[in-house]
Amino acid sequence: MSFFSWAWDWITTSANWHGNGTGLDGSIPQQLLAHLGYSALPLLIAAAIAVPLGVFTGHTGRGAALIASLANVWRAIPTLGLLVLLVVLLGFSPLTWLLPLVALAIPPILVNTHEGVAGVDRDVRDAAKGAGMTAWQQVLHVEVPIALPLILVGLRTGAVFVVATATIAAYIGLGGLGRFIIDGLARNEYGPVAGGALLVVILAVLVLALFALISRLVVPAGLRKQERSE
Amino acid sequence: MVLVGPSGCGKTTSLRMINRLVEPTSGRVLLDGRDVQQGSAARLRRGIGYVIQQTGLFPHRTVEDNIATVPVLDGWSRARARGRARELLDLVGLDAGLAKRYPHQLSGGQQQRVGVARALAADPPVLLMDEPFSAVDPIVRASLQDELLRLQQKLGKTVVLVTHDIEEAIKVGDLVALFRPHGRIAQVDAPEQLLAAPADDYVSGFVGFDRGIRRLSFLGTDGLALDSQPVLPADATVSKAAATGLPWVLVTDGDGRPRGWVPAHRLSAAPGLTPLGEVPTDGFGHTFTAGVDTLRAALDAAVLSPAGEAVAVDGAGRVTGVLGYDQIRAAIQAAAELTADSAGDLAGDIAGGDSG
Amino acid sequence: MMWSWISSNEGMIWQETYETAYLGVVSALIGLVISLPLGIVAARWRWVRPPVLTIVNVIYAIPALALFIALIPSLGLTDTNVIVALTAYSLCVITPNVAAGIRAVPPAVRQAATAMGYGPLRRLVTVELPLAIPVIIAGLRVAVVSGISLTSLGQLIGVSSLGFLFIDGLQRSFPTEIWVGLVLVIVLALVCDLVLIGIRRALTPWASRA
Repeated sequence: MSFFSWAWDWITTSANWHGNGTGLDGSIPQQLLAHLGYSALPLLIAAAIAVPLGVFTGHTGRGAALIASLANVWRAIPTLGLLVLLVVLLGFSPLTWLLPLVALAIPPILVNTHEGVAGVDRDVRDAAKGAGMTAWQQVLHVEVPIALPLILVGLRTGAVFVVATATIAAYIGLGGLGRFIIDGLARNEYGPVAGGALLVVILAVLVLALFALISRLVVPAGLRKQERSE
Repeated sequence: MVLVGPSGCGKTTSLRMINRLVEPTSGRVLLDGRDVQQGSAARLRRGIGYVIQQTGLFPHRTVEDNIATVPVLDGWSRARARGRARELLDLVGLDAGLAKRYPHQLSGGQQQRVGVARALAADPPVLLMDEPFSAVDPIVRASLQDELLRLQQKLGKTVVLVTHDIEEAIKVGDLVALFRPHGRIAQVDAPEQLLAAPADDYVSGFVGFDRGIRRLSFLGTDGLALDSQPVLPADATVSKAAATGLPWVLVTDGDGRPRGWVPAHRLSAAPGLTPLGEVPTDGFGHTFTAGVDTLRAALDAAVLSPAGEAVAVDGAGRVTGVLGYDQIRAAIQAAAELTADSAGDLAGDIAGGDSG
Repeated sequence: MMWSWISSNEGMIWQETYETAYLGVVSALIGLVISLPLGIVAARWRWVRPPVLTIVNVIYAIPALALFIALIPSLGLTDTNVIVALTAYSLCVITPNVAAGIRAVPPAVRQAATAMGYGPLRRLVTVELPLAIPVIIAGLRVAVVSGISLTSLGQLIGVSSLGFLFIDGLQRSFPTEIWVGLVLVIVLALVCDLVLIGIRRALTPWASRA
């Protein structure tokens, strides 16, 4: 049987939609919702920290070198290792999964926001300053709107990342769609493993689609979208 | 006022000290007698128009919203600001249909005009322009320079323009400050004086070769004595033309418009009673309008003319006479004497001290 | 920090480190090899670009664990599974960079080459690709660094790597082991990153050293 048939069989088994949540697995809708929560919360916190910070460093140009090195280093950190370490040191608590998820979601958002703001054409910034905009106005009316495509790319990367990492966090005890995967692996049942995996993939793709939609709505027509690889 | 000089001479830096995009390390910049460093920089800049070479138009805003930038910052309602934007589009010679377009959809020349419109939106008394026309091709540049002169006549603003092109400086400037490398000023003068009386070798070198001839574009052609002897209508006979004894004759048509020159040897070859209109003519180059065109245009016309004489016409294109080299030379000499006197006066004014 | 444990398990640690390096680097290199022609095609024909880039974005969004799992029916719980998955990710990162790097070559340079008599293939190989090297290597760096980091995830489906230290460390509540794994993965990844930077410098003697 293929991955899809395993997954499909499991997902369409109605029993899986009605678990009571106290069992090992929980129901699909429950874990789906939980997963959304475990992804959205770290993303929002990370965005709240990284976007203003990136705007600041991009506008002033300070910390550019630091951010450049950050861009390289953050991908090197194995999420599984970090999660496991925190659990072993601190026991399982909201902190042990929230902190690493936030910490690891910050770099892509920060780097892209910085690049977006710092990358605003020098002449445009000069013109904004020359027209008499205060620093605040330059940032709000000119630099951020122009940087918006890249900021959204950063947020999108962060979003996809937290969805993936929340899945892994099931290994240290977090709920969500990863539960089906981890528990299924432990019990050698490929059904939930495949089903959980497929659901996670669908969720990730939905996140992409959501950001594409947001992009279309929010980015002004005058800006040509930059194609950049992260 | 034009600031001109080689690359790196500090002309742009000097300009940017006026609106505090660069803060002076020593000395003061006075605007209307007030030190620009007092008060908020942003507020200062809203009262000064700023146009740069690459325009710096906001790509994420439409043309009209770009122009409306400073009014909106000053608190105007968006509707009122956009209305003003449309006025300005008209002022800079752009079609109102461009208002909702985005900058990247416009040509280079159009973008430059939008940049100027944006700078003028809040009607600032002072306009700073940093190499505004250097990035466009020569034909567009010439028309933009003419537009600027027209706008300046109409609006009467104080404009400080930076350029590396001495020709542009001479063409648009009322007062030109020529910079040496590393920030010293070599000469501040009216453009004609720069051509007529350069302060030193650096200036004359920068101003360039053939400044003598270029200076002629500052001399007028009114009051010059035109010769009407060689001018004959097409229905006059060949023998009448030959009787003048002149080496060349200018044939005009029924309206008095020039047809061409006929040399004496062609007259003697034709039968005496032939009307001049039937004799083949040589081209006359171009004409100049006496009293309107400059002496330089007249000299150029004379050089192009096979007869060595420039054809002068009135506003409707009818021939009023011809101008030979002798008369041109006399006009130049008269102007030189006049300038020598006034050059002394102007030098005295500058030495007396002013801030420019 | 139990240093004694480290010294007594040196063999195992080196073995896992080697495994991790192998899986990460090999998949990145295979990804490079596939990305080059794919990126060249995407650079040349504009109608190819949007679909390719969209597909690449979608695949890259697939969480690694899910991809490993999806490959189990066909590739089992083997090294190959992880290599295939990581190669797919490398593709996603490097292909856009190949395309972007080639397209970033200034048109003036391209035209000069053509005017001097370079055929399209020769121009590609001797002018466009070399100039695209920095961008391509930037993509390769991302692929290698994230590949090495993701390799540890393969441990969850039983594919051996430094991830073993995480799993084992968790089961035994043994922080030292986990620290060792973390440090080694990160150091390994950064060392590879530096090596690639060095390779880039060696391959682009014309570049200014900013």
